[in-house]
Amino acid sequence: MLRQPWNPYIAGGLTGVLLVLSVWIGGNFFGASTTFSRSASVIEEAVGVDTSTIEYFTTSKGKYGPNSLPNWQFMFLVGIIIGGFVASTLSGDFRIQAVPDMWQERFGPNPVKRAVVAITGGAIALFGARLAGG
Amino acid sequence: MSLIYGIVTGILFGFLLQKGHVLRYDKQVGALRLMDMTIFKFMLSAIIVAAIGIYLLKDLGLIQLSMKSTSIGAQVIGGMLFGIGWGLLGYCPGTAVGALGEGRIDGLWGILGMLLGGAIYASAFPFMKAYIIPMGNFGKISLPQIIGINHWIVILIFAAFLVLLFRFFEKKNL
Repeated sequence: MLRQPWNPYIAGGLTGVLLVLSVWIGGNFFGASTTFSRSASVIEEAVGVDTSTIEYFTTSKGKYGPNSLPNWQFMFLVGIIIGGFVASTLSGDFRIQAVPDMWQERFGPNPVKRAVVAITGGAIALFGARLAGG
Repeated sequence: MSLIYGIVTGILFGFLLQKGHVLRYDKQVGALRLMDMTIFKFMLSAIIVAAIGIYLLKDLGLIQLSMKSTSIGAQVIGGMLFGIGWGLLGYCPGTAVGALGEGRIDGLWGILGMLLGGAIYASAFPFMKAYIIPMGNFGKISLPQIIGINHWIVILIFAAFLVLLFRFFEKKNL
């Protein structure tokens, strides 16, 4: 069972149970995007930007500011990396790969091209997620 | 304690995401191209189970819900941008992180891009607050509330719809 892939309905249903337990025990809903805003404030502060002049990082008592980390969601994301690594290693799926198969079929094996599009896509997606509120 | 809950929950979630094959570019983009419904099967199963559990806890008085405000401007424009970015990156924020755990380098590029996006949004926030977020702002509303019916009826209808949708997926081998 640890080596086989799981039916997505089962894995998804268990994720629902995990979310309910998380809300019940600690009051934490699942989310990821806010951590990138918070981490951006930490990085900006570290490279010498005065983040107290940026309204977003001071709004709601500095909820998105550099002092908001580490918190539950940040550790949640660290956990996802670990969980993904453990499960993929057990399943024999772990593989260092620069360009996904479907991408390569259509756009070729150039890793720089993939990196540029992934960075651009990540920036647009996160901007949209923060605008929409999560 | 909150930090420990965070990492434990994350490990379990990352494990389930990987086991469900959700962390893959091919599955993510396959879903957006309507070729492979793995992501939707996983996500919708999680949503229906969680909806039942969360409303059960709420009705038993064990938790309180704090809703986010509904702003048509912010959510329609934000949602469309999110969709464009998701298609280009091939991962959503949580799965980009998980994909890195599976050894996919583009997950890391996604994380870098998202940090950049977080910084850009923070600088654009005053503009968004003044012009975009007030567009069609309805405050904290929920679907059962505006239709004026019991939330369990909404959940039941949603569950029935999912059963039909899942049967369709399996029939078409999606």
